[in-house]
Amino acid sequence: MNPLATSLGRLSLESPVAVASGTFGTEYFDLFPQAVLGLYISKTITMEPREGNPPTRLYETEAGLLNAIGLQNPGLQGFIRDELPRLRDILEIPLMVSFSGASQDEFSQILETLEREPGISGYEVNVSCPNVEREGIAFGADPDVVFSLTRRLAALTNKELTVKLSPNVTDIAAIAQAAETGGATSLSLINTLYGMAIDWKTGRSRISRPVCGYSGTGIKPVALALTYKTAQTVRIPILALGGIFSWQDALEFFYAGASSIAVGTAFFSDPLVAVKLRDGLVDFLNSKGLSLKDIIGKVSL
Amino acid sequence: MISCKTLPLAENRQLNASYRVLVVRDAEMAANCRPGMFCELKAAVPEQERKLFKPVSVYGVSGDEVSFLIKVIGPGTASLAALQPGDPLQVLGLLGNGFPIVENKMVLLVSGGVGYPPLAYLREFLESDNDIHFLHGGACAEDVFPCDEVFTDDGCAGKRGFVTDGVDKLLAEKNIDVVFSCGPLPMLKKLAQLVAPLPHYCSLEAYMACGVGVCHGCAVPVGEDYSRVCKEGPVFEAAQVRWGEI
Repeated sequence: MNPLATSLGRLSLESPVAVASGTFGTEYFDLFPQAVLGLYISKTITMEPREGNPPTRLYETEAGLLNAIGLQNPGLQGFIRDELPRLRDILEIPLMVSFSGASQDEFSQILETLEREPGISGYEVNVSCPNVEREGIAFGADPDVVFSLTRRLAALTNKELTVKLSPNVTDIAAIAQAAETGGATSLSLINTLYGMAIDWKTGRSRISRPVCGYSGTGIKPVALALTYKTAQTVRIPILALGGIFSWQDALEFFYAGASSIAVGTAFFSDPLVAVKLRDGLVDFLNSKGLSLKDIIGKVSL
Repeated sequence: MISCKTLPLAENRQLNASYRVLVVRDAEMAANCRPGMFCELKAAVPEQERKLFKPVSVYGVSGDEVSFLIKVIGPGTASLAALQPGDPLQVLGLLGNGFPIVENKMVLLVSGGVGYPPLAYLREFLESDNDIHFLHGGACAEDVFPCDEVFTDDGCAGKRGFVTDGVDKLLAEKNIDVVFSCGPLPMLKKLAQLVAPLPHYCSLEAYMACGVGVCHGCAVPVGEDYSRVCKEGPVFEAAQVRWGEI
């Protein structure tokens, strides 16, 4: 009996450890075996290729990382031609493809096109990127838009449909509920918080796009609170992420109601972090005679 | 093949108040290393656990020893500098493409500040088969390292002025075939203008996170769109760099 077995909507996962879109690539499988992970989430793609934002795109703060990558990606056709065949060859774990669009029609077209491709187990609908103008967060901040978008997409697929939510909204629970009602089979949260840094010596923004995305250790309490709040509101499972570095961090998210978690920025501080996290969870659960399912959502107040 | 290892520091040698040489022993890395490649380094101490690695060019290889020349700039590099022999150092590498290797050429090496190490390593690689002129510039005497001609901003060591002043003179005197460079972006930009249309390979610096090509954080305007310093670089043909956007 695998104490880490979990599920995300329609997917059964051998490990509750996934990767945050845009922070991971198969390059890391030179460093550790992919079975450590339960789910591979690819970098967000858009209909057309995007070259991303000009440098500087990164700045490390006191407790986390600012980024303004800007959804750099080869576009839908480039992904299908160059990356998907490679991912199909390499991956032994389920592949979830993350995508974003500039209109509901574009989201639908991307999903319809991907539906024709073998080797995809599910989709992460990215309505929460803070670093682009038209795609992303413009969609994720309005419950009515999230509802109608999710409803359209849910009608197009029988695969896992995860909506990735932004923390940069007034009421995440209303948006989570809209996605669930629309037909999302799971939610992932949180995307990056808004962040900014200025060089006090020169008065210049540290990053080319001044208000950008903030991830890493400093956002963990925010992510945890939003996971808890969302879990109190919806019945579909939650893939939680935001500042998770250790198995202890992961446990907090399971108690708050997440059924799986993703590691992102932590890979940049320790490429082997997922191995340590998975092993730590196994040891902890075995020492307590528990399985993951025994603790999900069991926070005591 | 990239590896991520925690290695005991073999040596930590102080050059002056700002610069130190860190040495690790790793036969595999030493065998596969080429000038221009780099590693992501981090002191394995609790306060650095959740911090990013620092990308550092390889300074030299000798037997199974791989050395890095670091400048202490902030907390990350200060914690590297504080390591004692035997202390654990996290090493993610080898990363990057490295410089092309040439033969029977008149070679010009130009470095500025902490851009010196990859060119010092390259010189070792090239000097038996090429005629080499190595120019280096720094802000002050601390930033000066062994080479053929030195320039400092205030003239406290070598000649007063920018290293690019020396390049101008050398180009008039010698038939340079190829140029290799590493240093601050303004220096590289000026140099690219001076030495064009000669073949010129420059190693670029960028703020970096993953080091392995997944995060796209270290993108620079090279070619038609952006290239990753960690993956397609750090060495680029200067003619491919869109200097106007830097």
